[in-house]
Amino acid sequence: MTNPEARRRSTANEPTDEGDFALFHDIREMFLAVDPMPANLPERIRFSLALRELEFEVARLSAEEDEGLLVARGAEQSRTITFDSESLTIMIRIDLNCDGTARLDGWIAPPQRRIVDLRAGSDQLRVDADERGRFVFSRVPRGSAQLVVRAQPGQPGSGPTVVTPALIL
Amino acid sequence: MSMESRESVAVQTGQPARAERIAGLLQAAREGQQDAVGQLVTELSPLLWQVARAAGLSTGDAEDVLQTAWLRLLDHLDDIHAAGALTAWLVTTTRREAWRVRAVARKQVPSDTEWLDAVPDSAPSTEELAVTNEQRRQLWAALGRLPERCQELLRIVAFVPRPDYDVVAAELGMPRGSIGPTRGRCLAKLRELLNSSAEGTF
Repeated sequence: MTNPEARRRSTANEPTDEGDFALFHDIREMFLAVDPMPANLPERIRFSLALRELEFEVARLSAEEDEGLLVARGAEQSRTITFDSESLTIMIRIDLNCDGTARLDGWIAPPQRRIVDLRAGSDQLRVDADERGRFVFSRVPRGSAQLVVRAQPGQPGSGPTVVTPALIL
Repeated sequence: MSMESRESVAVQTGQPARAERIAGLLQAAREGQQDAVGQLVTELSPLLWQVARAAGLSTGDAEDVLQTAWLRLLDHLDDIHAAGALTAWLVTTTRREAWRVRAVARKQVPSDTEWLDAVPDSAPSTEELAVTNEQRRQLWAALGRLPERCQELLRIVAFVPRPDYDVVAAELGMPRGSIGPTRGRCLAKLRELLNSSAEGTF
């Protein structure tokens, strides 16, 4: 069937119009016919994603101590918490900032670069742990928080994602 | 172009509801609802299949690459906040992973342009297309005469959900550091070829 518009509209950078969509439709139909995705592929991918979910490690609180520390900024309380999981240990020290927020210094052992997410209420903060396994969240709202330690992108084989139980800052 | 296929285009692509659903699934996935990612897999894998195959991978390698792309998404869910961005991220990740796998298979790292020449001819034979109609055969022939980069671009964009066309096409059509072929130019060229082979059909 004739589509007179098609002849007129051949300049390079016009926005995509109905004729283009129709042509894309034909291209799509053609590739669906000659090179379709194996029908069960999504199911297999879903299965492997589900397996991967099982690889989350839950770290357990293994030590917690409060120290009434006298630091340069004045008398502040500092708290040290250690979480252990099968693949790593996460130690954090929590100090209070003057403005009422908390500062969280963390160490991952064995030392390794990781992404560290802190879920604090509806906020999510993210920092990188350096090659010594050190990370810092300098201002965190107080309240309930949870740490998620995961691999850096492009760093496969660096172990599963580790989540801590929620802690109160 | 028949009226029938025009109508089905409208049905298939006039779907803000679909975009909303994908955005909802993305949100649910970020909140840790496992099944949400699974539904996204079902929804978007057919597109990613074409991306991997258009990059010249075997079917086996294409399956591996799709799996890798979805696994990687799990680590990046928090960075992606819109349905269009999700599609673009998946397409880009699949494409890069496909290049990497192909380079490994060839024991060499292709430079930015070398891979263009390296794309194997994965075209089905004319026999495979024999069952389809004349119009489709013409389309196939015309596509085959486009530069490989255009073939890849059009093949991918044809599978992209309509609301995401622009964000994905922009990403595909503007390779860094070069004035690549654009969707518009590739389409224009395809039309020229179609018009010259079958006056007025398209």
